[in-house]
Amino acid sequence: MSTVTRNPLILGNKTYKDITDDICIPVEAPPGKKWLAMFLSAQMLFVFYILHIAYIIGTGMGLLGVNHPVGWGTMIITFVFWIGIGHAGTLISAILFLFRQKWRTSVARSAEAMTVFAVMTAGIFPLIHTGRPWLDFWLLPYPNQRGPLWVNFRSPLLWDVFAVSTYATVSSVFWYIGMIPDFATLRDRAKTKLRRTIYGALSMGWRGSARDWSHYEMLYLLLAGLSTPLVLSVHTIVSFDFAVSMLPGWHTTIFPPYFVAGAIFSGFGMVVTLLTLVRIGFPQFKDYITIDHMEVMNKIIMATGLMVGYAYCSEFFIAWYSGNPYEMYAFTNRAFGPYWWSYWIMFSCNVFIPQLFWFQRFRRSIPVMFVISIFVNIGMWFERFVITVTSLHRDFLPSNWGMYAWSWFDTAILFGSFGMFLTIFLLYLKFVPAISIAEVKPVLYVGKKRPGHGGGH
Amino acid sequence: MNSQTTDTKDSAANMANSSSNEHQNIEQGERYWLSLDQWAGDPALAGRLENEFMSSPLASEDSKDGFARREFLKVMGASFALATTGCVRRPAGHIIPYAKAPKEITPGEANYYTSTWYDGLEGAGLVVKTLEGRPIKVEGLPAHPMTLGGLSARAHAEILSLYDPDRLKGPVRNLLNKERTNKESVSTTFEEADGKISEALKAGSVAIISGSRPSPSLKSVIGDFSRAYGANWVQYDSLPTEAIRLGQKAAYGRAVLPRYRFEAAKMVVSIDADFLGTLISPVEFTKQWSRRRTPGKDMARLVSFESILSLTGMNADDRFRIRASQQLDVVLSLIARVATLSKGSVNIPSGVQAAAKLFENAAVEMGLDGKLFDQVAMELLALRGESLVIAGGLQTLTDKQIELQVAVSALNSMLGNDGKTIDHDSSTFETLAGSPEALKALIADMSAGKVKTLVIDDINLLYVLPEDSGLRDALKKVETVIYTGNRNDDTGAQAHWVLPAGSSLETWGDFELQTGVYSIQQPTIMPLYKTRSLGELLLSWTQGSAQASAKVKSAASWLEYVKATWKSDVQPKVDLGRGLAFDEFWLALLQTGVASSAGRRDRAGSARGFVGSISAKPIAAQGYELVLYPTVQLADGKLGNIAWLQELPDPVSKVVWDNYLAVAPAMARKEGLKAGDVVELTVGGKTVKAPVLVQPGLHDDVLGLAVGYGQKHAGKVANDLGVNAYQFASFGGGRPVFAGLKATLKKSSGRYELASTQDHHLMEGRKIVIEATSAQFEKDPSAGIHKHQIFSIWPQHQYTKHKWALAVDLNTCTGCSACVIACQSENNIPTVGKRYVMEGREMHWIRVDRYYKGSPEAPESLFMPLMCQHCENAPCETVCPVLATVHNDEGLNDMVYNRCVGTRYCSNNCPYKVRRFNWFNYMKKREEPLHMAYNPDVTVRPRGVMEKCTFCVQRIRKGTNKARDEKRPLKDGEIKPACAESCPADALVFGDLNDTSSKVSRMFQDKRSYKLLEELNAAPRVAYQTRIRNAVRVEEPQKGHGGGHHSSVQPVDGKMENSVAAKTNQQHGELV
Repeated sequence: MSTVTRNPLILGNKTYKDITDDICIPVEAPPGKKWLAMFLSAQMLFVFYILHIAYIIGTGMGLLGVNHPVGWGTMIITFVFWIGIGHAGTLISAILFLFRQKWRTSVARSAEAMTVFAVMTAGIFPLIHTGRPWLDFWLLPYPNQRGPLWVNFRSPLLWDVFAVSTYATVSSVFWYIGMIPDFATLRDRAKTKLRRTIYGALSMGWRGSARDWSHYEMLYLLLAGLSTPLVLSVHTIVSFDFAVSMLPGWHTTIFPPYFVAGAIFSGFGMVVTLLTLVRIGFPQFKDYITIDHMEVMNKIIMATGLMVGYAYCSEFFIAWYSGNPYEMYAFTNRAFGPYWWSYWIMFSCNVFIPQLFWFQRFRRSIPVMFVISIFVNIGMWFERFVITVTSLHRDFLPSNWGMYAWSWFDTAILFGSFGMFLTIFLLYLKFVPAISIAEVKPVLYVGKKRPGHGGGH
Repeated sequence: MNSQTTDTKDSAANMANSSSNEHQNIEQGERYWLSLDQWAGDPALAGRLENEFMSSPLASEDSKDGFARREFLKVMGASFALATTGCVRRPAGHIIPYAKAPKEITPGEANYYTSTWYDGLEGAGLVVKTLEGRPIKVEGLPAHPMTLGGLSARAHAEILSLYDPDRLKGPVRNLLNKERTNKESVSTTFEEADGKISEALKAGSVAIISGSRPSPSLKSVIGDFSRAYGANWVQYDSLPTEAIRLGQKAAYGRAVLPRYRFEAAKMVVSIDADFLGTLISPVEFTKQWSRRRTPGKDMARLVSFESILSLTGMNADDRFRIRASQQLDVVLSLIARVATLSKGSVNIPSGVQAAAKLFENAAVEMGLDGKLFDQVAMELLALRGESLVIAGGLQTLTDKQIELQVAVSALNSMLGNDGKTIDHDSSTFETLAGSPEALKALIADMSAGKVKTLVIDDINLLYVLPEDSGLRDALKKVETVIYTGNRNDDTGAQAHWVLPAGSSLETWGDFELQTGVYSIQQPTIMPLYKTRSLGELLLSWTQGSAQASAKVKSAASWLEYVKATWKSDVQPKVDLGRGLAFDEFWLALLQTGVASSAGRRDRAGSARGFVGSISAKPIAAQGYELVLYPTVQLADGKLGNIAWLQELPDPVSKVVWDNYLAVAPAMARKEGLKAGDVVELTVGGKTVKAPVLVQPGLHDDVLGLAVGYGQKHAGKVANDLGVNAYQFASFGGGRPVFAGLKATLKKSSGRYELASTQDHHLMEGRKIVIEATSAQFEKDPSAGIHKHQIFSIWPQHQYTKHKWALAVDLNTCTGCSACVIACQSENNIPTVGKRYVMEGREMHWIRVDRYYKGSPEAPESLFMPLMCQHCENAPCETVCPVLATVHNDEGLNDMVYNRCVGTRYCSNNCPYKVRRFNWFNYMKKREEPLHMAYNPDVTVRPRGVMEKCTFCVQRIRKGTNKARDEKRPLKDGEIKPACAESCPADALVFGDLNDTSSKVSRMFQDKRSYKLLEELNAAPRVAYQTRIRNAVRVEEPQKGHGGGHHSSVQPVDGKMENSVAAKTNQQHGELV
């Protein structure tokens, strides 16, 4: 009797100890030259980013390309971009967890870390894109002595405040809870007092008892359940920033699902980018983050890419079908107006290029998927650029029409944000087990013969 | 309080005593010692020890050490307090109360003074708003019979020329060497200057050059001065219009600048005359013209023949594109066609007959639409005595400028317009009396060494005169040159003495802008700097002469002199002065600001006999022609250092901060030019590089270049903007030639970006500016308006008190943009500079959109003033996360600057995009003393907040409060926002919709009324009224004209209708 066996999720003939060693050693060993070099460059970019933000806050928003009529620019574009990136992590860690997708175990930790860092990176933008950032706290509804003045609950920007802060909180907690058993492992392996103290504190007294595990798993399940709607809600609400307005090109009902699909698409793009890099940086992880893992993610990229492509086409159809001249113009202008190039960069990167993943050869090729994932990232940034800038730059009255005045500061802000993200991500790789030890061990024998057990299983 | 303090003091002293007793006890008990001295019992030390801890808290009791404890605490507390206050963001300012308060000043309450504005070209009645003795805004004087409360953009900007940081702050002496190249300047005093100049004057051979000075007192003092020193007075206008006077002289025998009466004209034909924009008195003309534009049978019609596209041409119902050199041909052709079509009922004056016959078909030959041209001739025939043909302005100063004026006069005489729509007799213009010929003669005298002392009055001659005038060399022959300009500019640098005249808001003066219309210029502030007006200077110099008249001798001051002039010369001539003692008259005058005699302006004289003659032969036109023209915002460039004007979008092209070579789209195609390309323009041997703007509506072979730019010494704002166009004018041939100059053009390398506030000029088939022809309007007054079915499930807000609204009549709005500057002045709106306009950061709260329609070669133009629409369902309000923009109970969309965080979401969601964001801290960049022009009633916005039109909420509050204080209901029209107040066309009407009888209510109910983007259901509180194009329409032919013309006209009518219909579907493409 032959059974269909799954491909093993973990390659090599590993024991539990091998797993622990493989994952813990990069954290315990002194930083390598490669890591140091990458960290220093990322950090320099981060410092450069901070200086530019400081200069902008000190001088005025006028340094950026935002103008009349394009009131939102790089900061909002990049905000939506990073928020979108975050979605893959929660999807992998929460939704796939609920669906019992075992392959998620080896990529979930890094994907979640990426989520948290991406939300952190994104969270900066709404704060600094205001004209008077020092008054941002006025967006919070708290009792005050200014009247009291209250916030406007009808404004999607306020919904954003809640959506993003909730998302940031829940995903950080979820990520942290998942790390507790691994922190305990590090604590137990620690050779210095300092490490023992720090990891000891982080592991919150984890003892690995059955009770601990029982509570832990229940909590993890609950948090997964809590995170799942957030995957859908956050980007839905971010899309409301646009969809609730009356601007042609923004005012569309397709935005919530379209944004969510786009977010997952871009998130997986970023996960693939980062994990290919992790595989290169830490060769021992190749056994855990296997080509099979990557292939599954590439399939998701292709599927969500098709959804996004469908949304692009649907928008055009509805614009034509609506008979609304402003709407029709807005979409014609996207594809054939002065910003045609941005539209076609978006369309090519998001719809055409991922079609390569129809071929298994490309799905399983690390260089190919790396390049495609970069294109997906570029394409998704341009998607937000297209939505924000090309809709704003030509709206109802032609006398208002103008162009976005891209400046050096836009470039600095865009690339600087990668400095922030990479700095934090590299620190994460150095101080936190990049793969969940506790979750990987149970799937060690998936697709393999378990030693000491009969083949009957 | 006092007793408490003393108690504390006492107890503190007691405590100090008791503690020192203890100290002594310890000392006496066992022997403790601190040093050997102490151990040895040194008495000096013992004394010191005695008091060691005994210092009194009060300095009076303890003068030994520097600080008593309490003093120390005080000082420390004070320094602590100072240190804290040093960190406060806004340092405390000090308001110093009047030691002796002037009784007319209530702090915070504005005082208004009547005055007159005159910039050498046009004039207007003014009301100057002052606060605590500081003028902050000028407004139109409604009582002034010419301008009737309207005010141009330049007049509004006058307030900034008072506070111009770059103007001279005192007299300057230029130490000139023999070659007059020495640049060294030293500041001096008027006393020193007076002494030296008096010496020079005694030598005789004095001359004065000034712009036109239509001022009774100044004319009088110049007369007195001239008699005393044998001086010769020459007037020259930077934008000469002598051609009209000379043409009138040639045609009728008397040189006069007639008053054109547009209010009496049902049909106006303009030959390159920009009377709505820059010609003679545009505000007055616009007032008159707008009153004839009420749609209906009586609506006036405007046909224009133009080389460049002017504001007038943009408002024309039909427009023909001609070369500047063809202006005379067109008029002669029109004369011939009128005569032919009249079948003998109208005869061509004999002196013109022969020439007109030669040009009978000239219009067709130059490629104009012959049928439409005949149509115009027919209409002129039909409207004899009610039509007006006008030519004038810089654009008509070709080498045939006088023949043109003669021909225009011939046509007006043929049509019986003279003495009806043209007033040559009772109240003609006193402005623009300049004579290039007289100046030429004077320059010749100077070159011959016949002038020893020359006074140049505040006109930068070396800038506005072409080089071939010879003035520069002639000046070197003059021993003493005195210049009264406010800056040491091109002319100032060649003068020995620069004695700044100051601002007209600082000095007394008077005007007679039209014969019999007298107005006063009141100072509204003490001169900010050491300046003296021309009148003051001449008066004091004349007083030093032995030959001074009695009037001069008895005048203790310039004011006395002005009063004396009014007493003797003006009071007897005006209604206001009748039966009043002079002092009463003077007081009454200061209140009304203007005095004239009734009925004078209703007369126009009788028809004059035409005596002119023209000899002209058709010459085939070829090559390119350069036309120099003044812009609405800058005119001759004298106010160039005012940033408001530089940043005011040119009403025609919407370009700011530059001039440019305007070329037609056809020429651009032919020469391979794009907007922003740099070309080498060669005229008469001079070559200059200039950027190109592709300007629809220009004649294909005409190049347009605006004067007033390219200044070198006007100040930080104006210097080096654009190219100086005056240098291309020619002065040599006896007449100043500014148009029809033969030019060649070569594409040069490089690009030059022009900043424009509107980059897209077509409506893309959207219903934005709705236009209908008069025929369509007569069938259906709502023609062109598409009403949308709008319903809401929500109940609408009720506005029980007031319901403010603004109505805009697009049919009368000419696009002159005076509202923009009025708003800027009222609401403290910053300018941002060229770079930031290019980045889309201009701050105007009201702007005038201009759209083209039709072919790029000959488009129709449409204007639309756009300000915050104060929507009842305002899209901006729902999206603001912090409720910084909210609706008030009177329907205003309020902006709460304090609360604004600056997300800019409101701007994104505003379909009209009328919100403006403070990208930088603009208010801090305003150089002193320009900040003195700030209106304290309007918040100055900091960086990072959104702003927009408020309907001048400060004026609404003031108006409603006043009505409440006086316990009466508000009157309609009592509250006017700055834009509506200054509108020369009365196109903007503000009021309360709850008052059903208000003008704005009636306009809202009007059939022509529509809301912009109504389908979005934002429910704007601004209603626009459709523009009606008075398309070709012929009255039933009168008896004697025969029915034959009717048939020749019909197809034209049909064609126009078709073309209008076709044009609404047109798409853009080539336009830049």
